Order: sequence, then structure tokens, then C-alpha cells
Amino acid sequence: MRKSSRTLVALVLMLGLATLSGGAAAQSAAKQPIVIAVPVGLSGVNSVVAPAVVQSAELAVEELNAKGGIMGRPVKLIPLDDESGPAGAVKAFNTAIRQHKADVIITMETSAARNAGAPIADRAKALFIYTSFYEGRACGKYLYVNAWVPEQIVSPLVKFMTNEKKVKKWFVLGSDYAFGRGLIEPAKKMITQLGGTILGEEYQPLQQSDWTAIISKIRAANPDGIMYATSGGGPNIDFMKQFKAAGLKMPVGSLSIDELTAEQGGNAAEGVYYTADYFTSIDSAENKTFLEAMKRKFGANLKTPNSLSEPEYDGIHAYAMAVEKAKSTDADKVAAVLPTIVFKGPRGAVQMNKQHHAPLPVYLAQVQADGKTKIIQSFGLVDPGNQCPKLK
Amino acid sequence: MYTTQLLDVVTTAGVLYIVAVGLLVVYGVLKIINLAHGAFLAMGAYAGVLTTWAGWNPWTALLLAVVMGVAVAALVEWRVLRALYARPLDTILATWGLNIVVVQILTLYFGREIHFAESAIAQPISVAGVTYSQYRLVLLLIAVVLGGLVWLMMQRTHIGVVAQAVIMNEELAQALGINTRFVRFVTFCLGAGLASLAGALLTPLVSVHPNLGVPWLINAFMLVLVAGVSLGNLALAALVLGGAQVLVSSYGNPVLGSLTIVILAVIILRFRTVTI
Repeated sequence: MRKSSRTLVALVLMLGLATLSGGAAAQSAAKQPIVIAVPVGLSGVNSVVAPAVVQSAELAVEELNAKGGIMGRPVKLIPLDDESGPAGAVKAFNTAIRQHKADVIITMETSAARNAGAPIADRAKALFIYTSFYEGRACGKYLYVNAWVPEQIVSPLVKFMTNEKKVKKWFVLGSDYAFGRGLIEPAKKMITQLGGTILGEEYQPLQQSDWTAIISKIRAANPDGIMYATSGGGPNIDFMKQFKAAGLKMPVGSLSIDELTAEQGGNAAEGVYYTADYFTSIDSAENKTFLEAMKRKFGANLKTPNSLSEPEYDGIHAYAMAVEKAKSTDADKVAAVLPTIVFKGPRGAVQMNKQHHAPLPVYLAQVQADGKTKIIQSFGLVDPGNQCPKLK
Repeated sequence: MYTTQLLDVVTTAGVLYIVAVGLLVVYGVLKIINLAHGAFLAMGAYAGVLTTWAGWNPWTALLLAVVMGVAVAALVEWRVLRALYARPLDTILATWGLNIVVVQILTLYFGREIHFAESAIAQPISVAGVTYSQYRLVLLLIAVVLGGLVWLMMQRTHIGVVAQAVIMNEELAQALGINTRFVRFVTFCLGAGLASLAGALLTPLVSVHPNLGVPWLINAFMLVLVAGVSLGNLALAALVLGGAQVLVSSYGNPVLGSLTIVILAVIILRFRTVTI
């Protein structure tokens, strides 16, 4: 091609591209998607429950987009892997905020991951709705929690085991990190308050799956009952499998198990008692619609919704309502209205109005022989207590 | 209390021995550390998952694991490692690459989440007045049998004696007409098969995920460094280091316990005057 022709072609191409991108920019300003990032434990200890969390998020986003999105803008979901830990969380949060320009982070994570990621969200002034149950007292201007804290589920479980199962001598154990220790702490307080004694208290590194040493200590101490708090997911089953294989039979209360993990473990967790705010057997119209929609969308791939994954659905809808009310995605404006939002979902009416935390309905349940969970008692709406007294 | 601790010590030693013996065999003959050992462990564990999905008897997982391990090892040794033996460091690097590839394939197929495999034996057993995990005792038995079989193979079979010659002095063995290439091939397959077997044997104790092999590889690596090429030394190392881990976990706490094997191995290596 002659030099002048090449220049002409180049000029034409450039003009064409400029027009296209200019047009695209004009279009996208109006329809720019609202980006919801979900950094979650796709690998690591949370990997059993992470797919369920992503499914909840996908259904919520699909429902929002079916109604035209939020403020007419389509909603885009970005799941990321935080590797269930701090190193992965730092990577995932930075990717979400810098690369994907996320408007909000709504996710369930291990406390280790959350403690690493939350400061990143805070510095970037990104709203962070934490949808996982956890040890409590995590506070931030832009951090909101719509899942349970120990004040809501520990005392019903301890009271039940003390009164109904006659447990006076306890052995408590857990995974050695914020959540494990943070759940056992209030459990111990409640136990001593009710007149029980703690025969032993042991913790194990988070990724360690061999509970032999602790199980031998339990056998030596011979308690009436066990209270444990590993991380969510796999470690619950590791411990229960080894506990049962060692021939130990005393009643076990779990502060870290959920319906999906129990099911995945077959009969490993049979007999375990636990309290939570969401179960698939909750008898409400919203829950029925939710479960039907999940079954329709995911069919055979559906991961049983549970107390670690359902709040994700609630959280995304609450955020959508807050953005519509604030008429903006600006974190300060949305955070201002978020405590006034009441979302009536599968758990009932949830409002994050108590120092960025939410009063929640609590039930007591027991894992059956086939891994499924049966609700035994209902405690009504339980207050989260003073989680963040410095925030209003 | 002490009975339980003694049982814990010997069964932990048994488990460690089973996991490490494959690594030792490869180290002795090929003079390399097979960094894909952890991946073969994971592969064996997933054989257990597949067996559970297919609804077969859990013991068939062991056979499936060995078949899978040997098949992959044979292919890799023949096509990749054989060309690199003149450069031992590159061979080790190749095994690291193999590790990454196998783990990623497992992740692609099974996903990153945790899976559970059916246990062949889940009930406890009463022994010496204590109720103990029957499976751990069975593993101890398997460790002894396995160790015995490998030893028998080394001492009493042709290939075993020939392998010993290669361990002692490969060049001389080659000069004497021994097909060292074949010995290396068989050894690598054996090492991988033992690793996969160990992985399948581990599944009743732990949940299965693609990176299952990593903590075990580190401990096995420490044991092999301390033991050298002797099977007997490996058993001793498993007993001493594994036992120390159990005792530190019992009398101290499990967090310190998980450091014990590494720290002890470093101390032993630092102060040992005899090279094996």
C-alpha cells in the first residue's frame, strides 16, 4: 500500500473508533452497571459453603435485574476468591475495588479474611455488608452486618444443653483464630453463669485437620458435653468424624456448623445441636418462594441454602432498597439510609438498625442421621446486644 | 490416659510412615525429592471420593488410587523426567511442575470445595481398656505391612537388589550392565503409587480438597531428610518426630505441636555427624 493510502486508512479507523467509543461512553453513563463484588472462600476452609453464597447472590441479582435493576441501572455481580484467609482477602478486595470499581462489597468470609479486607474497603470508602455469622464487635463506618453474633445464638444453645441435656462439666474447643476463640469466649461466660464447670479448653490451627491430640484430651477429661467452634465448613466434619471414630458419645453443641455442611458430611454430624437464624424448614411464604426460585434457577446444582448463605440474598436486596431510597450509590448516602431499610425475606423482617447489626429470629436444631437438620425450638427475635457502642 | 497417648504416638507414626515411604523410595534411587508427592496424595484421596460417588466398597478406593497414581507417574516419567535426569535440579523442578498441573486438574474437575469420602471403618474399638479409633489402629497395621513389603521387595526380589545397587552407586551399576533407566522408571511409579495409596488411606481422617497434600508433603519431606535412604531409619524417624508432635500437642497445645516435626528435624540435621 502506498504511504498516503495507509495514513488515510489509519485516520478513518481512528475516527471510526472515536465515534464508537464516544457513543458507547454516552450510552454507558446512563446504563453503567452497579457492581457488587463478592470476595468469598471459593478455596480453603469456607469452600464447602462458598458456592451456596454465590448462588444466593446470583438469585438476588437476577431478581433485581428482572425488575430493571437498581435505579434503572443493571446490576453486575463479581464473585472473587479470598482463599478463606487474609492473604487472599487482600488480593480479592484490591481487585474488586481497583480493577472492577465495585460500588459495594456484600459477602460472607472467615473472620480472618474480613479483618484483612475491611480496612481496604474502609480506606476506599466502599460499603461492606458482611453477611456471615461471626464473633461480633467488628465495627466500621461503612461496615454493616445482617447475620448473627454470639449474643444471639450462644445463650439459647448453652441453656438448652445445660437444662435439657443436663451438661454440667464441659469441654470446649475450636479453631485458633478470631471466630473460634471469639465464639468460645461468650460460651464459657454463659456456661459458668449457669453453674457449669469447664474441664478443658483447646484450640487448633485453622488449616490443621488432625484432631487426635484434642480428642485424647477430651477422653481423659470425660466431660458431660462438648461445645465447639471451628471455622465454617469442612473442619466441622473433620472434628465430628474423628470424634465419633474415637468412640466418644457425649452431646455436642456446635457454634460453627450450618445446614449445608451437615448434609455434606453424611452421618458424621448426626446428633449435633446448633442454633441459627435460617433453616430451609422455616415455614413462611417468603422462604417458600425463595426456595422455589433457587430450585428453578439451579436445579440439580442447588447447594442447600443455609445460615451462612441466605443472608447474602437478604444483604443484596437490602442494599438495593437503600440505594433506591438514597437515590445514589455514594457510600455515605447509602450508609445513612441503610439502618432504616427493612427487608422482608426468608428469615422474616431484617433491619440493620442496632449499631450496624440486626435483631434476628433464632431457632434451635439438631442434625439427623441423614445429615438433614430438624428444628426443635424457636426463640423469636433476639437482640444483638451492644456490638458497636461508638457507632449509633 | 497414658494408654491413649501411647496409641496416639504409634498410630501417628504409622500414618506418617505410610505417607513418607513413597517419597523415601524415590529419593533413594533417583536422588531427587519428588515435589509432586503431595499431588499424588491428593489424587489418591480423590480416588476415595470417586469410589464414594460410584457407591463401591471403600476398600476399592485403595486399588483405584494406586492404578491412577502409577498410570500418571508412568506417563510423566517416560515423557518428561527421563530426558532431564542429567540435570537433577531440573528434574526436581519438573516434579514441581507436575505437582501444579495435577492439583489444577483436580481443581478443574472436582472444584475447589471440600469433598468427603466414605470410611471403610468408622466405629471405635475397645483396646487395653480404652475406646479408640479402630481405623487408626488399622492404619498402624497397614504401615507395618507396607514397610515389610517394601523391605522384602528391596532385599529378596531381583529388581529390589538391583535398585539397591543403583542407590549405592548408579554409575558403577550402569557399568555392570544394570538397566538403570528401567530401575528409575519402576521406582518413580512405585513412589507415586505409594503416595496415592497413602492419600486414599488418609480420607477417613481428613476432608478432601486439592491442596490436601501440602502439610503432609512438608512433614514427609522432613522425615525423609532425617532418615536418608533407610526404611528402618524412616520408621524410627516417624516414631520419634511423630511421637514428639503428639506429646507436644497433648502437654502443650496443638499450635506448638504442628511446629515440632520441622523444628526437631532441623535440630537433628544440624547436629548429626554421620551422613547416611
